[in-house]
Amino acid sequence: MDATIEVRDLRKRFGQTVAVDGLSFTVEPGQVTGFVGPNGAGKSTTMRTVLGLDAPDAGHAHIGGRPYHALRTPLLEVGALLDAAALHPARRGRDHLRWLAHSHGLPMRRVDEVLEQVGMEQPARRRAGGYSLGMRQRLGIAAALLGDPPVLLLDEPVNGLDPEGIQWIRGLLRRLAAEGRAILVSSHLMSELEDTADHLVVIGRGRLIADTAVADLLAAATGDRVALRTSARTEAMELLAHKGGTVAVTGRDTLTVTGLPPERIVALLTEAGIAFAEVGSHRATLEEAYMELTRDSTEFVSAVDGEVTR
Amino acid sequence: MTSSSTPPSLTPSTPPERTPSTPYRSQLHPGRDGFVRLLRAEWSKFWTVRSWLLVLVLAAAATVVISQLGASGSVNDSNGRVRIVSAPDGTRVDDTFRFVHRPLTGNGSVTVQVSGIEGREGRSPEPWAKAGVMVKSSTKPGSSYVALMVTPDHGVRMQWDFTHDEQGSSSGARWLRLTRSGQELTGYESPDGREWTKIATVRPADLPKAARAGLFVATPPHTTLRRSFGGTSATAGIATATADFDHVELRGSAADPSWTSTDVGAPDPDDPDLPASGPARPIPGSTKVTGAGAFTVTGQGDIAPDQTAGDTVQMSFQGVWVGVLFMVALGALFITAEYKRGMIRTTFTASPRREQVLAAKVLVIGGVTFAAGLVAAAVAFPLAQDTLRSNGFKPPAFPDLSLLEGAAPRAVVGSALLLSLVAVLALAVGALLRSSAGAITAVVVLVILPQILAFALPLPAAEWLLRLTPAAAFAIQQGVTHYPQVDHNCLPESGCYPMTPWNGLAVLGAYVAVALALAVWRLRRRDA
Repeated sequence: MDATIEVRDLRKRFGQTVAVDGLSFTVEPGQVTGFVGPNGAGKSTTMRTVLGLDAPDAGHAHIGGRPYHALRTPLLEVGALLDAAALHPARRGRDHLRWLAHSHGLPMRRVDEVLEQVGMEQPARRRAGGYSLGMRQRLGIAAALLGDPPVLLLDEPVNGLDPEGIQWIRGLLRRLAAEGRAILVSSHLMSELEDTADHLVVIGRGRLIADTAVADLLAAATGDRVALRTSARTEAMELLAHKGGTVAVTGRDTLTVTGLPPERIVALLTEAGIAFAEVGSHRATLEEAYMELTRDSTEFVSAVDGEVTR
Repeated sequence: MTSSSTPPSLTPSTPPERTPSTPYRSQLHPGRDGFVRLLRAEWSKFWTVRSWLLVLVLAAAATVVISQLGASGSVNDSNGRVRIVSAPDGTRVDDTFRFVHRPLTGNGSVTVQVSGIEGREGRSPEPWAKAGVMVKSSTKPGSSYVALMVTPDHGVRMQWDFTHDEQGSSSGARWLRLTRSGQELTGYESPDGREWTKIATVRPADLPKAARAGLFVATPPHTTLRRSFGGTSATAGIATATADFDHVELRGSAADPSWTSTDVGAPDPDDPDLPASGPARPIPGSTKVTGAGAFTVTGQGDIAPDQTAGDTVQMSFQGVWVGVLFMVALGALFITAEYKRGMIRTTFTASPRREQVLAAKVLVIGGVTFAAGLVAAAVAFPLAQDTLRSNGFKPPAFPDLSLLEGAAPRAVVGSALLLSLVAVLALAVGALLRSSAGAITAVVVLVILPQILAFALPLPAAEWLLRLTPAAAFAIQQGVTHYPQVDHNCLPESGCYPMTPWNGLAVLGAYVAVALALAVWRLRRRDA
């Protein structure tokens, strides 16, 4: 079986609310796919449908070509973190993994391995009721890794982690993807996926907005823009516009120029005697690229008020 | 589709420009057999929550302690004041009636036409008044007998050795014949004395060759029952029955051709404990010879198992309903705790076959509650029996009961089954309602409320309530057998349940089956 998640024409409604509306995308192995959209965009519903928890009204969500309920040993094929708070407070962390391991005939040795992998050996001996959100997230990730699965679905795993934890999980996801696993990580904040995701699936109001490689997205957003810092803003604008550039004001003494390469700008400014502090090629952040992308999507903007709550 | 950033760390065997379509495979191997794994997983879920183990222990302890308290609150002082009559098989019985008899040695038969039964002073007779023919080993109360009789409301009956009852025709037949052949007696009935229909051939427990045969009349007392919330008064008024017999014929070798009349089981008139007058003082029977082979006989009393004594088996399990409360909570929480925190999704992700998860949960919670219930009942019963004995519930009025004989093993195992079935019922209702409070309330209302209401409602309504609700299952704790041929006020407050023990438990079983079926249907249909 191929380690992929395949979502095709998925539709799901709860009463009058359409949560997922004809969504299609594929999560490929060997990379981290970011699953992005505002709260209520349908990310969790999609993930629950992939895991066979919610039945779709139309379309399907398959793991390696098969529906989830057809998997004989699901934990060995898909690892999932849906809700880190889904723990019985009186049960110890290690015991939570114990019953999961028993459900697949896995030895306790494996439980201790994943606890070590997420750095939870010590807290796992205590009751889950006293865990911080970060500890719960780590335990949830341990549970997802328990079956050493080729496919991982993590719903907002960065939530509640401290900066150190965020660094750790980025490294972990990169490493797991490098092993050839297909990894789907949802987030409502694009910045969380910076330096982690290779590919992005952006949804809004249950519909697909973009399904693109991160590199392509950044390249498109960056274009050939040049950032310029100068105290003589008006003069610089006049000059560069006259020479064929498109100039936009981005700050009190900063401009963005399109249509002129940086060397040419430097030459023109020097020639005209206009003082400038800095000329550099502008590299868009993922956040900017995301804003660019969603600016065109009216659906996406309105999706924020049409929040789906369950 | 290509990945923009090449993964930083690759294993040496993988080429650097590896395409993402080389999938990873889990390095682990699962154990075998899916359902056993599920059972282990659910068992781990149970024992790793310490408070659940505690509730289980508390349930057992509360059952024992409350049973003990219930037993110490019950006192009997009837021993020594009441004459105990025992049937050949040891059953406590009534054996009081008017007997007009002659000796019958060896084979023979007695035939009679019963022309009518009347009550006292022209009143209508009791439904179970009896007039007919009898062969009895002696006039000693409790001795073996076979009787064939006409009753006002229950047709022709053939009864023997107190607990056995065979129905003849419901009306019409007025002629009765009882034939002895060796140790076997056969009853016949006829509407006209010519065409005879056989009712049954029976073998009484202990009939000597020289027995007594003849006519008899008996009637149970007239009872009225007044029930209101918190109190019941049963009044037994005196009743007599008078029957006219014709064409009396006794065939066989009789040593003495003359008829003797005996008030079998009547108290000694000189007994100092007997009141000098009033309804408690029995009225002596009478026999009038009204012609050749014609008699008018008046009698009172009954020939039947005694159903008025307390049930010392049932009295030993008065704490089980408290155990029920704990088990209901445990059964419900075993699934609703998962719904409350969303852990049910982890469960169904690990095992997408939801009905198997439910089955594993049923077996685990049913198993642990049965084990705890069995220990509780097996400890509670002998302790309560000790207390009851020291409170006066002892032979001869009450039998000595040990854990492993008579009704006790059934009541002990049945109580454990009851406790485990209510836990499973709560689990199923919990899967349906997905709320701890809702599930616990619903099951407590179903199992416990009918018992409380049964104390307050009119008797027929109370009896239906205890037939139709899961509370019927408490019948499993009854040690006294209730016979249909005895009119008996089955009072819930006296620990009497209208159904037989296993049928009562089966009612609870039916509720469990329906709730589980609904739970499976809901689990399959609804999103988790």
